[in-house]
Amino acid sequence: MAGRKLRIATRVKASTILEVVVSMVIIIAVFGVAMMIYANVTRMSLSGQKIKAQAVLSQVMKNMGSAELSSNQESVIGDFTVERSVKPYDGNNNLIEVDLKAYDKNHIPLAELHQLIIPNNDQ
Amino acid sequence: MLRASALYLVIVIALVIGVICSSLVVVAYFYRAEYQKKCRYDKLSHNLLSGVNLLLTTPDAAYLQQTKISLFGAEADSVALQIIAWGIYDIGVVKAFTQQDTIYKAFSIANPVDSGKWAALYIADDDRPLSVSGKTRIEGNAFLPKAGIQTAYVDNKAYEGDKRLVLGKKLTSEKKLPSLDAARLDALDHYFSVQGDKPASMDSLTQSFLKPTKILDFKNKPYTLNNLSLKGNILLHSDTTLTIDSTTKLDNILVFAKAIIVKEGFNGKCQLFASDSIAVGKNCRFNYPSCLGIVRSKTAAFSLQAKITVGETSTISGTVFTWEKSPGEIKPIIRLSKKDTVRGQIYSQHGIAFKDGCVVYGSLYTKYFLYQNSFTLYENYLINVELNSRQLSSYYMGSNLLPAISKKKKILQWLEEN
Repeated sequence: MAGRKLRIATRVKASTILEVVVSMVIIIAVFGVAMMIYANVTRMSLSGQKIKAQAVLSQVMKNMGSAELSSNQESVIGDFTVERSVKPYDGNNNLIEVDLKAYDKNHIPLAELHQLIIPNNDQ
Repeated sequence: MLRASALYLVIVIALVIGVICSSLVVVAYFYRAEYQKKCRYDKLSHNLLSGVNLLLTTPDAAYLQQTKISLFGAEADSVALQIIAWGIYDIGVVKAFTQQDTIYKAFSIANPVDSGKWAALYIADDDRPLSVSGKTRIEGNAFLPKAGIQTAYVDNKAYEGDKRLVLGKKLTSEKKLPSLDAARLDALDHYFSVQGDKPASMDSLTQSFLKPTKILDFKNKPYTLNNLSLKGNILLHSDTTLTIDSTTKLDNILVFAKAIIVKEGFNGKCQLFASDSIAVGKNCRFNYPSCLGIVRSKTAAFSLQAKITVGETSTISGTVFTWEKSPGEIKPIIRLSKKDTVRGQIYSQHGIAFKDGCVVYGSLYTKYFLYQNSFTLYENYLINVELNSRQLSSYYMGSNLLPAISKKKKILQWLEEN
């Protein structure tokens, strides 16, 4: 068995070294550009945390009762710290300006929301 | 024989990667664009709500012209506010905008009742008692003359109602009725002299409250509205008689004329104001918030009696009132017919005439009552009439034109939004 010659039935045409080198250069360049695009898209994409913070603020504003319109407060909701400040709007005591700000654990601001609310308004 | 063709393979792979990258970029772009759109919409919604609340807490005279303001002195928080006097109510229009995006809401504004002053009956003290007979029922607080209330025997029938006569507090009324709001009356009076377009032939017309009021002026020519649908910011004006047929559909519009005739079977929601008379036919239905009002600021030497007459089994949800600046010899009057129902408020500057089976769910202000049978006219008698303030919906809101209405403003009805 040993020393027996391997016989190949078909012939394979090889690429030249120049072809291979050019191919490699092109493929590396294409991959490089693809990686840059991917990195850019990932970097520029919206922060899920900011979206969530915005939704939390909207919910807090929606559920705010009349009792909560009397003082400023800081509370922790999930991963966020929500800071609430209330003050009469433009000197009008019948209208309260509510400012909500959401911060992450490192106290970096993520979202804010402002709204005018009529206290004791049941509609 | 297989071919190596490395360059060919590389181009195919590059193409595939290119397509994937493009898709990624496009998906990211649209996601971002949609998110920004939602963010803008959320912010505009909050600004719009703030604008609505601002309109509800400002004095009546503010924002009669459209005013653009920055709510919080920051970016993208501009709103345009406007209040339009619309008959006995107000219309608020709020637009919140940023860049090319605008959202708006138009709504009518009314005032809740003042529960401290609210009463089923307020009859001015004319130094004579109020007499009740038949199946009369007064439920709710009642402001009565010092002479009080008593039972009477009319048409061979005694009083058959509750022995307490008034199912509520009995309070003492003043010699004069509480007055109507002068500023609102001036505004209403001003509408009698408006001039507008000559009405063209049409079968329906809708005008937005974001646009100027469409005034259709019939001038001195008597006109009958029929097979017509009118909705929104439309004012009809006539210097003579305007007849509204039952085939006419009116929704939130104003009508100012010397005399208004509403034909039998009409069903709609509108505010009708006349300087002489309003005659409503049988089986008519005025849906909430409607209004029938006599506003007469100038009384000529030979003026006819200003009056509102309502045909049998009609229902009015809203307000009925009469007001004459300088009443002549013949005072304005409201005449209700058998089985009429009023849900809301009646303010008669002078008298009101009832027939059997009339029901007022709400509040009634008057100087005196009239009741006429075949032979006799009874003054200050309530016969087979129900006045019940407790049957009125707790959500009822009225106009600050009338007394016993709080100064607080609330949204009566959402009219338009996008």
